[in-house]
Amino acid sequence: MAEDLVLDTAIRDWVLIPLSVVMVLIGVLRYFVSKLMRSYQVPDAKIVKEGQVIVRARNLRSGANFIPSKAFRARRVYFSNEENGLLFVPKGQAQNAQAQMFSDPNMAMDMMKKNLSMIIPQTLTFAWVNFFFSGFVAAKIPFPLTQRFRSMLQNGIDLSTVDVSYVSSRSWYFLNLFGLRGLFSLILGEENAMDDTQRMMQMSGFGFDPTKSLSAEKDSLDIVQHEWALPKFEQRAEAVLRKLVS
Amino acid sequence: MAGHNESGKKKSSEAANDLQTFSAENLQNNMKVIYYSQTFLSIVGGVIAGILGFKGLAGFILYFLIMAISSVGLIAKAKFSVHSYFDCWNRIIFDGFFGGLMSFVLFWTFAYDIVHIF
Repeated sequence: MAEDLVLDTAIRDWVLIPLSVVMVLIGVLRYFVSKLMRSYQVPDAKIVKEGQVIVRARNLRSGANFIPSKAFRARRVYFSNEENGLLFVPKGQAQNAQAQMFSDPNMAMDMMKKNLSMIIPQTLTFAWVNFFFSGFVAAKIPFPLTQRFRSMLQNGIDLSTVDVSYVSSRSWYFLNLFGLRGLFSLILGEENAMDDTQRMMQMSGFGFDPTKSLSAEKDSLDIVQHEWALPKFEQRAEAVLRKLVS
Repeated sequence: MAGHNESGKKKSSEAANDLQTFSAENLQNNMKVIYYSQTFLSIVGGVIAGILGFKGLAGFILYFLIMAISSVGLIAKAKFSVHSYFDCWNRIIFDGFFGGLMSFVLFWTFAYDIVHIF
């Protein structure tokens, strides 16, 4: 059963190419639509403040070794002091912020819009493919697969003796779905590619951000051991200058 | 490719004995350069593999060969001092390997079908 089937040129002209072109165009369209629909959200002052405090704490942690030890310790106490330190959030307040975020109508609308703009084109295109392009062999994938993939890839084709490499157009749709992500990131510039898993992770992570990361930052700040690097710098400067001169 | 690479690389760390200080922005930019060049190469490699009629394992070997060549090219562009541009070896070698795989397979299938089957 290893002979090469010869497929009609019409399939190539009217199935493969139009499907790919349509998916590329839909991706571009979705990108522009999401840009247009992005409503400007007035940032909540409290959340911005907390975010900036986290950034400051992180900078302190990364630059800890460049300042003298007394200065570092003073700054650390300022952040993680039990009573009025910036990073210390009493348990009661922490819960509030999270609940408030989810009941905020603006944020819910935003998330829903993003979700919809992702799901609707995919569903529509899939339904279109199924309706028009089912029941025939669409393409041959150049590498062999096991029999177990047959039911997944050959969905409209009812012959069981056809080689698993010959797939239906539904699998061509899925192949396009995954493979065009790279192309989108090239032509649309900078990660505007549709990456569903990434977006979902971002959305679910957003609600928890301020409260848990504050305590996480406080813990990591407490862990840092101060080791003043500056005394060694004179030797380093000497080595560099020596290399330059010689 | 050459033009793209030239404007891409930036020095991201001070010459370090023990300390590694990285400018996060430059590091990210270097990551982006790697990602773009690997994506582009995987698409082009897919089309090549399809036109030449590679089947099965040979195609995947071609993909890994192209990724290896791109890694070597990037390392050469970084003048072999990887640590002044990236924070660890894994970035430049392993990171994009499987990212470009789906695009490669898509364009490989596409070109193979257009040229050989129809």
